Amino acid sequence: MVCQVKIRKWALSLFFCLGVIACASAQEFRFTTNVSSTRVAQDEPFQIQFMLENASNVASFTPPSFTDFEVMQGPSQVQGQSIYNGRRSEYIALIYVLQPKRTGNFTLAGATARVNGNVVHSNPVTIEVIKSVNHNAAPQAPAQQPPGFQPGHRGPDEDVAEGILRKGEDVDAKLRKNIFLKVDVDKTNLYEGEQLTATYKLYTRLPTNSSVTRVPAFKGFSAKDIELPNPPQATTERINGQLFKVFTIRKTLLFPLQSGNLELDPVEVDNQVRLVKLSHDNRKRSRDPFEDFFNDPGFKDPFNDPFFDDFFNRPEVSYEDVPYKIQSTPVKITVKPLPVDTRPPSYNGAVGHFNMSATIDKTTLTTDDALTLKVNISGQGNVNLLNQPKVEIPGSFEKYDPKVTDNIEKNSNPLSGSRQFEFALMPLEAGDQTIPPVEFSYFDPVAHAYKTIKSQAFNIKVTPGKQNKRDKEDFSVDKNVLIPVHLAPQRWTKDAGFLLGSVWYYLLLLIPIIALIAGILYRRRQHYQRNNAALLKHRYANKAALKRLELAARYLKEGKDRAFYEETSRAVWGYLSHKLEIPFADLNKQLVQNKLAGRRINGENTLQLFDLLDNCEMALYAPAQSNDKMQGTYQQAVKVISQLEEQLKTKQQVV
Amino acid sequence: MKPVRYIILLLLLGYNTLQAQGLTPQQRFEKANTLYQQNKYTEAANIYQQLINEGYPLEDLYFNAGNAYYKSNRTGQAIYNYEKALQLNPYNESVTHNLDLANQRVQGFTDELPLLFFQKWWQQWEHLYTPNGWAVGSLVLFWLLIGGVLAYLLAARFNNRIVRMGVSVIGVVFIAYLFMSIYTYSSLHSHHTGIVMNSGIKAKAAPDQNGKDLFELNEGMKVQVLDATADYCKVQLADGKTGWIACDEVKRL
Repeated sequence: MVCQVKIRKWALSLFFCLGVIACASAQEFRFTTNVSSTRVAQDEPFQIQFMLENASNVASFTPPSFTDFEVMQGPSQVQGQSIYNGRRSEYIALIYVLQPKRTGNFTLAGATARVNGNVVHSNPVTIEVIKSVNHNAAPQAPAQQPPGFQPGHRGPDEDVAEGILRKGEDVDAKLRKNIFLKVDVDKTNLYEGEQLTATYKLYTRLPTNSSVTRVPAFKGFSAKDIELPNPPQATTERINGQLFKVFTIRKTLLFPLQSGNLELDPVEVDNQVRLVKLSHDNRKRSRDPFEDFFNDPGFKDPFNDPFFDDFFNRPEVSYEDVPYKIQSTPVKITVKPLPVDTRPPSYNGAVGHFNMSATIDKTTLTTDDALTLKVNISGQGNVNLLNQPKVEIPGSFEKYDPKVTDNIEKNSNPLSGSRQFEFALMPLEAGDQTIPPVEFSYFDPVAHAYKTIKSQAFNIKVTPGKQNKRDKEDFSVDKNVLIPVHLAPQRWTKDAGFLLGSVWYYLLLLIPIIALIAGILYRRRQHYQRNNAALLKHRYANKAALKRLELAARYLKEGKDRAFYEETSRAVWGYLSHKLEIPFADLNKQLVQNKLAGRRINGENTLQLFDLLDNCEMALYAPAQSNDKMQGTYQQAVKVISQLEEQLKTKQQVV
Repeated sequence: MKPVRYIILLLLLGYNTLQAQGLTPQQRFEKANTLYQQNKYTEAANIYQQLINEGYPLEDLYFNAGNAYYKSNRTGQAIYNYEKALQLNPYNESVTHNLDLANQRVQGFTDELPLLFFQKWWQQWEHLYTPNGWAVGSLVLFWLLIGGVLAYLLAARFNNRIVRMGVSVIGVVFIAYLFMSIYTYSSLHSHHTGIVMNSGIKAKAAPDQNGKDLFELNEGMKVQVLDATADYCKVQLADGKTGWIACDEVKRL
């Protein structure tokens, strides 16, 4: 409405001016060209006015060709008369609002009109167009459809204000032409992590009540919205020569999180478009005859206008709210991956242009104190996505997760600000410590290269604190305290290696085995010896006895009976002496009997033995024995000895 | 210039070690303890390590070294030394406590399954003596056995049933001791377990550099070494995952 007021003011002042001019040249026919300014900036609209004063019977009017200009508005016709100081003047003015297309000096030829059958020309004007100072400030034209605002070149069925729906007009087509969404991106091909600005805009020429029903999700991006004024402020923009009111729905700084082809989701807007419906009769009646007269579709009476229609013919007008849903077209974005070959090891995702500073709050402290290492990264780029820089804290410090403080400038574009990482460090060890330089790398998308910033190294002197006391606590109370070192004196014996793996083990095993073998051998030898002696005696006993008996047998053949008995007796006694281990001198019958009884030999054998011995004794002291008896004695001696031998053997084995 | 510098360096090193050797092990141990109490953990750890390297297999030495390494944030070394101490005495409560603490620092640490009752019995039986104790015991028993046998054989006085029974009992016990000494010896020489010494090691599916990454190992993890090539070892984690890593990354217990 402000704009409408402006236009009306302008119109009134024009009236006033014309009135003055008319007064000055009373009744005189004049055809003049006036411009609001002969020196204009590019994109700055200006007015050109062709005025016919005191003209009658205007048959035709041809404006000059505005090749270097764009007709923003017009032609508007102003018709009037003024009475000034008693002089009456009539005028018809045709007004265009023009905007230069390029810079330079341009001459606009005058307009041509046929008045009273004569062709008249208005004066030409020269316009100097200079470069515009502020490009953005260019479209100063009114946003709201003002009365008399009619774009110069339009289709014949559209020569009405946009809010008015004529009968038979296609609503959809009309809406499609006059309301749409547009996504502006500042680049479509960029690096991972580089900033992209996406602006979602609603373009409209119709009065509408719109609400956003679906906002884009920005999959694959990290988004940071720029705050928009509330309520939304409209700007105007010219598209194909038509002025649109532009509302920014959303303005977002996007940082691609992955490479590849990404898509910006569309935004959806629900509109309630208010259209004015006019009945056809009404339209006809309100048409100015001048239009037909001039026969120019672009030529319009300023009073032949919806505003006035609306105003004067209210009963014939009806409003209609038409729902209209629109969607923006998705935008394809190509995201390049960051180069891998040249990537420094300390790189962790920063893209843009940054500065880094690292400071510590003290250089001398005790092990009871804490140290703060502040790393501040500031600059332009994905500040909101900065990861903590690689800080090589030596093992002698306990490191905690950093405290992150952001200071991001509000609504900055490109995003700029700073992020501060505050590392709390607890020295665990006393002594001179060094914290190596903090290193931070970022990718500069302008230079297409990685850049690395390094701080200086920090030297810190740590003195022992009183922390020792804490370590001495009873560990059973606090499970998370390390049990301190054991101080008890140790037995410092070196690891002798494994006994099992050493030669000594096997030697020591071998010694008893040798002893065992030696023992067994000794025992066997002893046994053998003992057994052998007995055997020899047996053998000897038999042999001696047999020898004597052989001798006795010879004496028997020779018939020497005394010698025979002597030998036989000696053989038996000798045998007994050896066998029974009785010394020869001690031999007597009683002892032999006892010995034999001790060996459990008795009975018949013993009787026979003693019988034989008695026989021999008797024969010795009473000779003259027959040869037969001698033979019998010999047989008996052999029998007794062999029987005894056998018996002694068996009995010994039993024992 | 370079060789000269080398020589100087060697001389300096030699001087240091000589100086260190001038002290008795107990004095050096005490010095390390003092350094530890003064929060100079790295220096303390160095002295403990020297003593260990010289071959003093003491439970407390390993324990103190573990503590010093723990405090100087070398978790892998700390766990290694605690495990060593536990090998000497699995019932040392302080070592178990500190090992638990150190394991808390290990990323992705999975606790081993607790031992079953008979495994505990076996462990107790195994640690009844040191390996050398078992060996000495077996020797003594062997001498007794042979002595008994000899007495039985040679002296008629001992030639009876009681001695024979005694000798056979000694024989059975000797065989048990011999078995245990061989078992403990071989279990200490097998080195089938190890501690990972670095963080962020990728376990591969095959024993070469290009193998597929399976999982990540971190400093201080205890692994079983199942198989080994010249450069690569097949390790198994407590949770059963297996993969190949470079043998240099594992310090065998």
